[in-house]
Amino acid sequence: MASCCSLKILTILTFVLFHAFVESNNFEAKAGQFISSGHTNNWAVLVCTSRFWFNYRHVANTLSVYRSVKRLGIPDSHIVLMLADDMACNHRNPKPATVFSHKNMELNVYGDDVEVDYRGYEVTVENFLRVLTGRLPPSTPRSKRLLSDDHSNILIYLTGHGGNGFLKFQDSEEISNVELADAFEQMWQKRRYSELLFIIDTCQGASMYERFYSPNLMALASSQVGEDSLSHQPDLAIGVHLMDRYTFYLLEFLEDIHPASTTNMNDLFKVCPKSQCVSTPGHRTDLFLRDPGSVLITDFFGSVRKVEITMETIHLPSPIEKVTEEKKYAEPQTEIHAYVDQLPVAEIIHQKPRLRDWHPPDGFILGLWTLILLVFFKTYGIKHLKHIF
Amino acid sequence: MAAPLALLLIVAVTIRALLFRSSIADLISERVEVVSPLNAWKRVVEGLALLDLGVSPYSGDVFHETPLVIYLFHFLVDYAEVAFMLADGITAVALYLAVRDYNKHVFRKQKYALEADRYPLDCLELIRTPRQMHYIPLKVAMFYLLNPFTILSCVAKSTCGLNNAVIALFILSTIRGSALLSGIFLALATYQSIYPLTLFAPALLYLLQRLYIPVNVHRSSFWVFTMQYVFVFLGSLSVLICLSFFLLGSWDFLPSVYGFILSVPDLTPNIGLFWYFFAEMFEHFRLFFICVFQINVFFYTIPLSIKLKEHPVFLIFMQIAVISIFKSYPTVGDIALYMAFLPAWTHLYRFLRNIFLVSCVLLACSALFPVLWHLWIYAGSANSNFYYAITLLFNVAQILLVSDYFYAFLRREYHLTHGLYLKRKDGTEATLVLK
Repeated sequence: MASCCSLKILTILTFVLFHAFVESNNFEAKAGQFISSGHTNNWAVLVCTSRFWFNYRHVANTLSVYRSVKRLGIPDSHIVLMLADDMACNHRNPKPATVFSHKNMELNVYGDDVEVDYRGYEVTVENFLRVLTGRLPPSTPRSKRLLSDDHSNILIYLTGHGGNGFLKFQDSEEISNVELADAFEQMWQKRRYSELLFIIDTCQGASMYERFYSPNLMALASSQVGEDSLSHQPDLAIGVHLMDRYTFYLLEFLEDIHPASTTNMNDLFKVCPKSQCVSTPGHRTDLFLRDPGSVLITDFFGSVRKVEITMETIHLPSPIEKVTEEKKYAEPQTEIHAYVDQLPVAEIIHQKPRLRDWHPPDGFILGLWTLILLVFFKTYGIKHLKHIF
Repeated sequence: MAAPLALLLIVAVTIRALLFRSSIADLISERVEVVSPLNAWKRVVEGLALLDLGVSPYSGDVFHETPLVIYLFHFLVDYAEVAFMLADGITAVALYLAVRDYNKHVFRKQKYALEADRYPLDCLELIRTPRQMHYIPLKVAMFYLLNPFTILSCVAKSTCGLNNAVIALFILSTIRGSALLSGIFLALATYQSIYPLTLFAPALLYLLQRLYIPVNVHRSSFWVFTMQYVFVFLGSLSVLICLSFFLLGSWDFLPSVYGFILSVPDLTPNIGLFWYFFAEMFEHFRLFFICVFQINVFFYTIPLSIKLKEHPVFLIFMQIAVISIFKSYPTVGDIALYMAFLPAWTHLYRFLRNIFLVSCVLLACSALFPVLWHLWIYAGSANSNFYYAITLLFNVAQILLVSDYFYAFLRREYHLTHGLYLKRKDGTEATLVLK
């Protein structure tokens, strides 16, 4: 009887232990998967490459992504925002200091605390590539640098006018997909990112990620090669199209994300199907090491910190040493401060008329008057001479 | 005629004195239509101040007057207003005397022609009578002194008044017949600004005519006189330039004065044609167009002299007009000088065709100059194109005025030789066209 009971207990115990073991394994696996991304900080580089008032929607695109990214936790110090033109304070903006993304002015994506790092003519291909690769002159301030390391997840968002294999900057220059791919390879070799998400909203955007060859890159584009990305809706009061379709639906999707949400990349790939976007959005995940289903949106769009709860007390040494203060009593200052004489007041009050310092040379006066007299006598005859002398 | 002239002078001096004491004197001396970088009073004061500080006044781009002006104003800078009123007075009196002598000359020629029966019988209504011509000199003086352009120029203390005085004295001495004085005043006028050089040809023609020397290149008497006149002119010009050298002891004034006039580096808007064109000119073509524009001023001398060789005083009038329109920095003071001559050609009134148009355009443009300047510079709602359009229109109106008088003069001469009522070969009435 006892052996039978003990055997039962043993089996139950082993069963429980095994279950616990498996569960713990599962838990660890889940937890492992949960924290497998390996990044410790998040960066975002958001670029709008077109200027002029009729490209309002590109600035609105970038600002709406900026807004989402900031709302989800990435601070301004980790965002490099490049806007090629100032729409909020443009002369043609009927509502100054605002940039709207929804018609009827429902959502002002400009807000009160936008920090633009590269503005106007500073948004060039050269500056963009230098930001990515980190090869900036030593005088560049921190706000203009991408100070990422090998545990950084970077979100790069580009919008503007593009074509097959290029993106137009400022109406005067272009960046090609080869250049971009090489820039990302430089970043990989310099260990400047852990994982990188590249989103582009231009015409034929998919051509821009065709040439990538560095690991851990995931790319999304708003349209395939040969297709145009279309704009969403105009606002009749402002008079221009406010957003592009892809980014509009991306913004709607991101509005539902909060820092604790577990939505993953597969949902992001479903944003803006052909029925809504008219163009076919594309994505590329072959270079990405993790399964897209396991990548959270907040891995790139937010700055979610991994928190480990512990119950043990940790003793921290006191870093501050007591400094004995010694006051030195300095000798009291005895010098008297006085103003230097600014103006020679005494002279000004009794100012005499200024003497002419320059006088014409005597030879000149003599020569001139001799000539005048000669002409006079030649004209009127010598007989006047005796009246003078 | 001395009393009306004296009265006119008193009235003119009163108007100028009143304006000098009012608050708009400063406003007027800032206006670009009245002063130019060549003859602004501000620059004269600046140059004299630089001289007092021991620096050459020609250093930098401030002062573009000749050294004789420095000498003159060194003593007169405190009495500048009186000096400019005196200059205007001298100009008016000189023009008065010149036109009076010219009228006598014209009347004498007409008497000889009538006695020689050279006029056809039906153009007797074109003959001028002394009664008509009696008040012309006074009108000329009045047109000069009471012209708003002259008053503005005097109140702004622009040295254009001095230039006008020298040219008026030159005209007086030419019409009096004194080759020496004429050459000296012409040299002085050329020394002040280069453009009166074109007045050499009409002065020569007039003096030859007066001495009854025929204008024939094969006659030695022509060449003798021409050489004498050229010698006087060039001699006095070189004496003036050398004297100017001795004033400051350097040749700095040559590039500052003559280089400035010829190469037009300062593109401040004025009522001329140069500034807008050269503001948008590429550097590559600048020299070419400077040459073209400057030759344009001097070029009209040759054809006009050939056409008007019997009428050198009219040629002087046309030359002064051409200079005022096409010079590099014109001001309204230059315009006032040739407008003063208009009463001398009142007998041409029946042949003038565009008087109404020209006068309307000139009045409208004169009114629009300050308006568009304000809109351009202060309100910011216009741009330089607006101001240049008015400048262009103003100059076109002036050209139309001058060419209209030219047409009328030539037509009268034609009628005097061929009769007033012209008939074609088949007996129908003919009209004259200026081609």
